[in-house]
Amino acid sequence: MKHLSVVVAGSGQIRDVQIQPGTTAGDILHQLNLPDYLLSKGPNEPFFAAAESVYDKVKDGEKIFASTKAEVGARACA
Amino acid sequence: MRVTDLGGRPAPESLRQLFARVVRGHGPAIPVQRRQIPYWQERGWTLKGRTYTGSYRTPYGAFYGQITDHRGGHIDFLLYNPSDEIRRHSHWVCFQHRGNDWYMVHMAKQPRDVSSGVLTIERLITEAYEQQ
Repeated sequence: MKHLSVVVAGSGQIRDVQIQPGTTAGDILHQLNLPDYLLSKGPNEPFFAAAESVYDKVKDGEKIFASTKAEVGARACA
Repeated sequence: MRVTDLGGRPAPESLRQLFARVVRGHGPAIPVQRRQIPYWQERGWTLKGRTYTGSYRTPYGAFYGQITDHRGGHIDFLLYNPSDEIRRHSHWVCFQHRGNDWYMVHMAKQPRDVSSGVLTIERLITEAYEQQ
């Protein structure tokens, strides 16, 4: 078991969760009812894929971010 | 008689304090509240009216910016004087020049909040430097 603090970037609200080995980013977002969000360890780290196991990639007690999907680009440049 | 009792005297203050601490043990833990603030605020941006000013912060530097949160949910993200590394990024064509070295970052998918946009642009800037 690991404890995580998920910071909802827009509001700053912190949601504490406890995860078991094999827990995916999608599981966490579903549990927190944040379906349109992505999880990451911060701006310098890539987003976790929905099916990616988060357990092995975080430390117990770590803070991670949930932010809404955004993409730089347009039809001409994406 | 080989030992003479000369009477008592108070121990030095430092010793008495040390002894008191040992006897008393640790005091009760003081809970420290976590700050629950939006990411933009955590990164030092300030809000005046509907316009945020601050810097997109990355390990490669902080880049001055301005964000306007229009009514209706549209948010404009501007970056001042992008570096050569950013100009060489594959998404450079998504930066629209707005004059005086200000560039608007065009979003194909708009973030729902300012904080998510700041995170996205910080990530893009980091990527620009790491792809060099």
